[in-house]
Amino acid sequence: MISGLLLLALRAAPFPSPHSPFPAQDTTKGKAVYVKWCAGCHGDGGAGDGPAAAYMLPRPRNFTGGLYKIRTTASGQLPTDADLARAIDDGLPGSAMPGWRGRLSNAERRNVMAYIKTFSSFFADTSQHVVPLKFSSAPSGGTSANAVKVGREFYDSIGCRKCHGDQGRGDGASAPTLKDDADFPIFAADLHQNWRFRGGGSVEDIYRRLRTGLDGTPMPSFADLIDQKFLTDEELWRLAQYVRSLSPPAPPEVRDVVHAPQIPGTVPVSPDDSAWARVTRYWFPLVGQVIHQSRWFAPAVSGVWVQAVHDGKTLALRVSWDDRTESPDTAWLKFEQRILETVAGDDSAPPLKAEPWPDELAIQFPRRLPEGSGEMERPYFLMGAATDPVYQWRWTSRPRRALAGLGRGIERFDTLAGAPAGEAIYEHGEWRLVLTRALATPDTANEVQLEAGRAIPMAFFAWDGSSGEHGSRMAVSTWYFLALDRATPPGVFISPVVAMLVTLGLGLVVVRRAQRRGAARSGV
Amino acid sequence: MSPRLPPAIRRYAEHPFWQAVGIVLIAYIVVVWVVPILPGSAIVPKSVVLQYMVTVLVGVLIYVSDNEERWRRFKEPIQAVLIEPRLKAVRAAALAGLTALVGLAAYGQVKTTVAAPPNLRSIHPAPPAEITFRGKTIALTGLENPLRQHPDSLSSYLAEGKRVYYQNCLPCHGDHLDGQGHFGPGFNPLPANFQDNGTIAQLTESFVFWRVAKGGPGLPREGTPWNSAMPVWEDFLTEREIWSVILFLYEQTGWKPRTWETEAGKGETGKGKGDD
Repeated sequence: MISGLLLLALRAAPFPSPHSPFPAQDTTKGKAVYVKWCAGCHGDGGAGDGPAAAYMLPRPRNFTGGLYKIRTTASGQLPTDADLARAIDDGLPGSAMPGWRGRLSNAERRNVMAYIKTFSSFFADTSQHVVPLKFSSAPSGGTSANAVKVGREFYDSIGCRKCHGDQGRGDGASAPTLKDDADFPIFAADLHQNWRFRGGGSVEDIYRRLRTGLDGTPMPSFADLIDQKFLTDEELWRLAQYVRSLSPPAPPEVRDVVHAPQIPGTVPVSPDDSAWARVTRYWFPLVGQVIHQSRWFAPAVSGVWVQAVHDGKTLALRVSWDDRTESPDTAWLKFEQRILETVAGDDSAPPLKAEPWPDELAIQFPRRLPEGSGEMERPYFLMGAATDPVYQWRWTSRPRRALAGLGRGIERFDTLAGAPAGEAIYEHGEWRLVLTRALATPDTANEVQLEAGRAIPMAFFAWDGSSGEHGSRMAVSTWYFLALDRATPPGVFISPVVAMLVTLGLGLVVVRRAQRRGAARSGV
Repeated sequence: MSPRLPPAIRRYAEHPFWQAVGIVLIAYIVVVWVVPILPGSAIVPKSVVLQYMVTVLVGVLIYVSDNEERWRRFKEPIQAVLIEPRLKAVRAAALAGLTALVGLAAYGQVKTTVAAPPNLRSIHPAPPAEITFRGKTIALTGLENPLRQHPDSLSSYLAEGKRVYYQNCLPCHGDHLDGQGHFGPGFNPLPANFQDNGTIAQLTESFVFWRVAKGGPGLPREGTPWNSAMPVWEDFLTEREIWSVILFLYEQTGWKPRTWETEAGKGETGKGKGDD
């Protein structure tokens, strides 16, 4: 249907050829660049079917249809050269497409852009006038509570929540039915992770996507609602500002060490305890398990937020992550089957059968802290090895429980008697889980003893059952660290104060002496 | 200094005190910000920065005190700040600043923070003389890529290597072979950057074969095998597929493998063609 619209739009465009902002391009040279650097994913014929394509979700762009998601032109129109150049130069965040600025020269990038256009006959029609839309600039007050409230009202009234969900995590009722024009399953964007938006995460980028739509996907353009006077341009900006407000002000920075402050009283055991609001949260990116049989190239959980506190006796770790489903969820079984059929892997032929797998989260430590200062040896980060196991906490959504055990490689998990206490809440596309355990336990051979003041290696693993994740098909992290901080004893502040007093005193003496000498010399 | 400088700036540029301040500042900027962006280098640890700065400071002091006249002029601004009534505000600010700095430094020394332990690893540990590949013993010493002995079939091997790369290596080592694939940032150490002159450009193809075949778990202890996300590719790929992908790595980046004849000597390496 969209391609039909495209044809109509193209026929109804009797403008002269626009002036291209780019210097002359050489498609022959562009072809050489394309064959060397692009064809591996996008295919020799530009159909998005290179050897890597089947291992990707979203799939690489098929250039033959002239259909592009990220444009500054109206829905159904071809992109401008600047639109194509932006995708090539900056890449598409959240996908496998890297930015090529700094990797290929300006001329190479412009030439390859010209070559990519030769894959679709639509670009060859020189009677076409590809005009970018005229975008207004953002009205002021975008981050005010009122602007966000207006934006939220339109979020509900124009149907965003149907796919993107009540809180914007891509968990709407229609989300499990979504597919793109090529029939591949497609996720409604998680609006809490704007650093993964293909077209950029700024409020201007979001506004543009609302105006242009993402052609070839279920995401429509809302420009016609302005034409119909259902909402004003300013209200569309408010919607963009609301969507922007769902993500942090800046993309999360990855830090190595989770600091767990010592708090008075006892640790919060509920994920929604108000005490957590005062604790720093740390972001850890997760990526596909592409190391061990059977590999998984389409991880559903892109990262976890981690918080930790202790009270001198017990550690509480709070992990929250975005997940579109409270798995197992039969409403998503068909979608899950489509993912398993779309993403190639070590056992994708014949395709795996979707099953109602649960969601899972694992937190991993070494069994014992490395001894000696500067000692950094630890077990294999990917769930240990038969000879050198790791100590893990494993939480599952069904049965809803947390276990502790020894991981001896991906295939083997031996449960231990002492499990951490776990409490989890699922709400609007987000899991919030708190696991608590005594710092010291009797089984010192197998269970890590959580000592304050040490860097305790820690890693994370997550599974979204409704995305086909189970067993080795998961998202993994590398080793990070947990540090239980001690409350700062007041004695610590004595020596800086003494040092400052001594410095100030000495400084005054030096000034006094210099002035006396200066006065003596000038004979006053 | 260039005589074209305006007189006000020239006065400072020719004054030993401001020269000293300038040299120390430039050294700090170079060590902290310029060195890390040089190819193949990393952020300079604080303790090393301190060593560099002490060295620079000693050098500067030797320079300014080496000549009587220069030493006198060097001391002038310091003396002035200490004495001149019109510089009272500067004097107070210098005193307060120094006091605050000492306080901060002392606090930094006594407060306890836990940092991640240093991740010291040997990036190219010594390879074994031979490995067992799927039950077959392969001697690495002196071994060249066997596919290079069939120049007629090289293009088909390269095509195979390209397919293997895109279906297996791409998520971590990336489209540009620079270690910046979309899964790369999830791992530490980061995936190897083949475009860099410090990886395959320095290595024999047999070394690369060993690293590919045995992956992270096959590293010796000094290579921190527990952190490496490099798979054990003998579980996934055949011997010929690995040699093909190695051909592809060199072809695509333009590097030439290190050869055995020259390894003991100067170690002949280098780009076969211009770096784009």
